[in-house]
Amino acid sequence: MSLRFSPVRFKSNSTAAALAVAAAVMLVPANLLPVLSTETSGYNRSDTIFSGTVELWRQGLWVIAAIVFAASICIPAVKLAGLGWLLLSVQRGGLRDSRRLTRTFAVLDFVGRWSMLDIFLAAFLTGLVQFGEISTVQARSGIVAFAAAVVLTVLATHAFDPRALWPAPAPVSPNPCQT
Amino acid sequence: MGNDAHLTCRLCGYRHRSIRLAPGERALCARCDTMMATEGRFGPDAALVFSITGLILALPAALLPFVNAGKLGDVRVSRLFTGVGALWNNGMRTLAVLVFLCGALLPVALLGTMALLHVPAHLRGRAANIRLLPRTIRVLEHWAFPEVQVLAVLVALMKLGDLVDLAVGPGFWCYCAMAVCLVLAQRSFDFELCNPAPDTCTTDAAP
Repeated sequence: MSLRFSPVRFKSNSTAAALAVAAAVMLVPANLLPVLSTETSGYNRSDTIFSGTVELWRQGLWVIAAIVFAASICIPAVKLAGLGWLLLSVQRGGLRDSRRLTRTFAVLDFVGRWSMLDIFLAAFLTGLVQFGEISTVQARSGIVAFAAAVVLTVLATHAFDPRALWPAPAPVSPNPCQT
Repeated sequence: MGNDAHLTCRLCGYRHRSIRLAPGERALCARCDTMMATEGRFGPDAALVFSITGLILALPAALLPFVNAGKLGDVRVSRLFTGVGALWNNGMRTLAVLVFLCGALLPVALLGTMALLHVPAHLRGRAANIRLLPRTIRVLEHWAFPEVQVLAVLVALMKLGDLVDLAVGPGFWCYCAMAVCLVLAQRSFDFELCNPAPDTCTTDAAP
């Protein structure tokens, strides 16, 4: 008996769905485990993404807290929810508002990169704040899970084929709109 | 204009006839409104100029200090790869590689690829005969995040403002300038070079 496998296509909505589910799973440890630990004069503190954002807010750094909250908590969640909605819309068929769905996909594709903010932030702080016993910052395992979730969401977006949002095969139009 | 020259929307797959765009003009998909092509305001060589400028700036960005931090007389100099090295030494090697790729190597590779694609066109009046380059550019665009790294450093500086004495170094400004050059090069990128086959295709093609 021989098994025959059809070749795996990266650009397919089933691949996108699998990657999105994997990203959602990775977001759980990413939000539960500490991403950074800070040791200042013997006082040790570990922060998750959310507790770090709350701490920034308490320190009065509201703008920074809002940026980190948007990039690290809102964007991954919104991106996964949006991708799920698009995949469900394709699965159900009978697409009514393809233009709006396509715009949603374009927005999700654009905002995804900003989730990398927390990863670059952790890398920068880990490299800079190394003052021995006075003050030290270390990256923790949560940031690895978060990085995996971000990479998986980016891959899921790439794997999604937005042409599936349009019911009819693409004909040739007379001219594009010039603005 | 040849009949076989088309602009294809990257999102909905709708195909349009190729058209001539004026400087600053954009071509939108007639079906989904996605921007398919744009004619840059800075002239035909802008992408090449910005790409080479970005590549030149990448060297001081990598070598010069990003940030000098001092606390109780102890001064620490952070460079572009200091964080990558710290993560690597911390045992987080995959994360270090990701930060290195997205923050340093891939932006430079993207600039280099765009320059490489434009140099033969500039010198010989004909697009590079390397079909792999446009595809490489599209892949790299999704993984090169220098602007996100700039924002991360700014956030870190504001976060550390009260804890340590900070001084921004020239490396960071060079990196910011490189990120700006990358964005401008992408905006000026001539997508006609991606579809060089039809000689009559005038200014643009699918992104």
